[in-house]
Amino acid sequence: MTKPKVAFFDFASCEGDQLQIANLEEKLLELLEHVEVVSFREVMKEHSDDYDIAFIEGSCTREADEARLKKIRSNAKIVVAIGACATIAGINALKNTRPLDQVRKEVYGDNAKWYETYAARPIDAVITVDFKLHGCPIRGDEFLALCKALLTGQKFVVPDYPVCAECKLAENVCVFEKGMTCVGPVTRAGCGACCVTQGAVCWGCRGLVDDPNKNAHKEVLDKYGLKAEEVMNKFNLYFAYQGGPK
Amino acid sequence: MNAKILTKENLLSFVQNLIKTGEVVGVTKKDGKFAFDHLKRASDLVLDYDVTLLPPKKYVMPQRETLIKFNVKPEVKVEAVVEATPFTLIGVHPYDLKAINQLDRLFEENHVDTNYMKRREQATIIAVTPTRASKWSFWSSMNSIFVETGFDLLLTDIGGRYAVEIGTAHGDELLKKHAKFEEAAPADIEKLESIRSALPKMCSADRKINALTHEMTAILEIHRKSELWEKRAEKCYSCGSCNLICPTCYCFDVKEEIDLNLKDGSRYRVWDGCLLEDFAKIGSGENFREKRADRFRHRFFRKWSYLAAKLTEPACVGCGRCSSVCLPDIADPVKVINELKEEK
Amino acid sequence: MESLYRPELATITKAAPMTATEKYFEIKLNSGRELGHKPGQFVEVSVFGVGEAPISVSSSPTKKGAFDLVIRKVGNVTGKIHNMTAGSTIGIRGPFGTHFPFDETKGKDILFVAGGIGLVPARSFINYVLDNRKDYNRVTVLFGCRNPNERLFTDELSLWAKRDDVEFLETVDKPLDTNWKGNCGVITTLFPKIKIEPANTFCVIVGPPIMYRFVIKEALDKHIPRHHIYVSLERRMKCGVGKCGHCQINGVYCCQEGPVFKYSDITHLEEAL
Repeated sequence: MTKPKVAFFDFASCEGDQLQIANLEEKLLELLEHVEVVSFREVMKEHSDDYDIAFIEGSCTREADEARLKKIRSNAKIVVAIGACATIAGINALKNTRPLDQVRKEVYGDNAKWYETYAARPIDAVITVDFKLHGCPIRGDEFLALCKALLTGQKFVVPDYPVCAECKLAENVCVFEKGMTCVGPVTRAGCGACCVTQGAVCWGCRGLVDDPNKNAHKEVLDKYGLKAEEVMNKFNLYFAYQGGPK
Repeated sequence: MNAKILTKENLLSFVQNLIKTGEVVGVTKKDGKFAFDHLKRASDLVLDYDVTLLPPKKYVMPQRETLIKFNVKPEVKVEAVVEATPFTLIGVHPYDLKAINQLDRLFEENHVDTNYMKRREQATIIAVTPTRASKWSFWSSMNSIFVETGFDLLLTDIGGRYAVEIGTAHGDELLKKHAKFEEAAPADIEKLESIRSALPKMCSADRKINALTHEMTAILEIHRKSELWEKRAEKCYSCGSCNLICPTCYCFDVKEEIDLNLKDGSRYRVWDGCLLEDFAKIGSGENFREKRADRFRHRFFRKWSYLAAKLTEPACVGCGRCSSVCLPDIADPVKVINELKEEK
Repeated sequence: MESLYRPELATITKAAPMTATEKYFEIKLNSGRELGHKPGQFVEVSVFGVGEAPISVSSSPTKKGAFDLVIRKVGNVTGKIHNMTAGSTIGIRGPFGTHFPFDETKGKDILFVAGGIGLVPARSFINYVLDNRKDYNRVTVLFGCRNPNERLFTDELSLWAKRDDVEFLETVDKPLDTNWKGNCGVITTLFPKIKIEPANTFCVIVGPPIMYRFVIKEALDKHIPRHHIYVSLERRMKCGVGKCGHCQINGVYCCQEGPVFKYSDITHLEEAL
């Protein structure tokens, strides 16, 4: 059996998800027993357009990205969006909540007119995506689980329940009890509630669950003293593309 | 009543001796609250806690437990796995022990679950009488103040010293082997009895279900169609927190993992929760409990009706954990049952 | 070590596609033992490295040496098994659950009503009855599916149609562009075409969840007593041994007290139908 050929691509992002993969080190070598990497800017110089599986990191933020995405789609049998920027437009979508001209000026100053930009979108807004690997950044072990599913001809399944479930399993003290707030109750699990476990809060990087109870959470955030604007900010950090509270 | 007496010092050295001879888990401090954890030294043990974040169930029914191991290449082989090694569990409150006693029955009935039973056999349980109740607890309402069985030893703080009641021959042996103790004097027994008689009042007055346990089942049955289920479930996250912290929840999912060599793998079970959206969903996509309200109600009926019929008592021990973790504050059995009772 | 969860190894001895989504498998346990199931029971099928799925046994216990499964491709386990061929190894646990009333119905009339892949479990009982034909009185089989391409066991269907000791009627919801010449319409449209003696008739209904309410109504309208109506219900039977909780219908474990239920036993369970 020939090894499936794998390629990595990046759009508007920090390339942190590919870094997570590069950081797998010896596990990555084990994976290379089963796949051939033909393009991976972070670890190799070579590039080829002959690949079966394309991993795409980053958001689509300008018209020029669309043609490149469509070319990847036509080359690949399987397209996987990796990381929040690719799956839910990530923090790139923060700019979508403000006038684009203003955003462009803030970033590029006098040179703004030279830089093309439009509202940030996840990859599946442009091309069909077969699987999504959520998170900011993605988890190395989840990447491996996805690879194993693909290699054994299975569908890769991501949890469709809130982070709270995994936070309970991690035996964390709820951040709301510690005088903080988070969006874990509406955020898709799969991260093992790693941020709360480390003493932080859930920011929502894996995006909303399929049927989030946003109204209930708005009420809870209100009960815990957040102002309407603060609630909006909480929701917009990662959910700006998927939609904030109604 | 018969009891032995351990001074605080002797209790510490007893625990330290147990640590020297085997795996010991006990209640420790965690982030301002309490959690059962591997005990490195006796001095880490906290016995005057209110409630732990997760119940000690996690040691008799681990969050993740391997059931089989297999090879798919070069030929298919499969073997059963039962993970069970001896351990001592110190600091279990009576309500949590009552929950373990219920699990014992449920895993044994009809088809004996070897994985659970073998592990359970390996557990030495040293229970402790609560010295305080969490603000959410309502174990008085659920008849979970006292347990007669399930413990090897039961400790009660009688003011600077511990009374030890012996539950099993194994507990007796352990005490004789590893502890320096005295026989209880009549005054000690008197103290122990007065502490026990004060226990029913330990849960705060507003944490009372206004019905006897068998009446609770009837109240639920009468109000199966109440609007309360729908109304409360409107605020439900379907996060399963109320399931996952529950000492009597034992539903599990079964998952599979294959190694990166794509040859060896294992099948394991993990805790699951009936509040989670996909709990009753089948392969074809049909979801037999699709509505939040149906899932929300199911949890109550499972505990107060379906399992109650098997156990002859509700499968709720009043620990109050579900009430405390539910951010929208809809899951509290005290409020739900009292509200239903007030309904026409 | 005795374990509830260790499957025994089994070999696929025959594999043949039936429709676009259903595939037939004949299975032999490697130990050589008979499965020993009763009509209507199910097994948990393992594809190692993927997982387990509950599947109804489709053959009658009168078939010896091997048993039949018909598997619809819906998820990872069923998808993977569809790629398997004769000689492949799988795992089997079971048989589990309750069975159709093959004893109680002796000397009585039986009306089978099977919709779509409901024929798969029903076939285990139909063939049992046909293999012990003299033990039963009148046998009627109603089969309906969405279109002619979804018909299962087509060879057996024509055999049943030819037998004069079986009344066999079938229909399709839509003929599509096939040369289907038979009945068209949902399965309940077959009811006016049959005559039964209600007090002496047992009715066995298996089909997709949506079908039950309508077919049960027809059976009741024909005055078949509630305790003579049997259904087989599908749920998420993950463990098969009444522990995992996924298949509960109100307080009833579908894997223990089902999948075959007497209708009169479940009328009070609002989650059942």
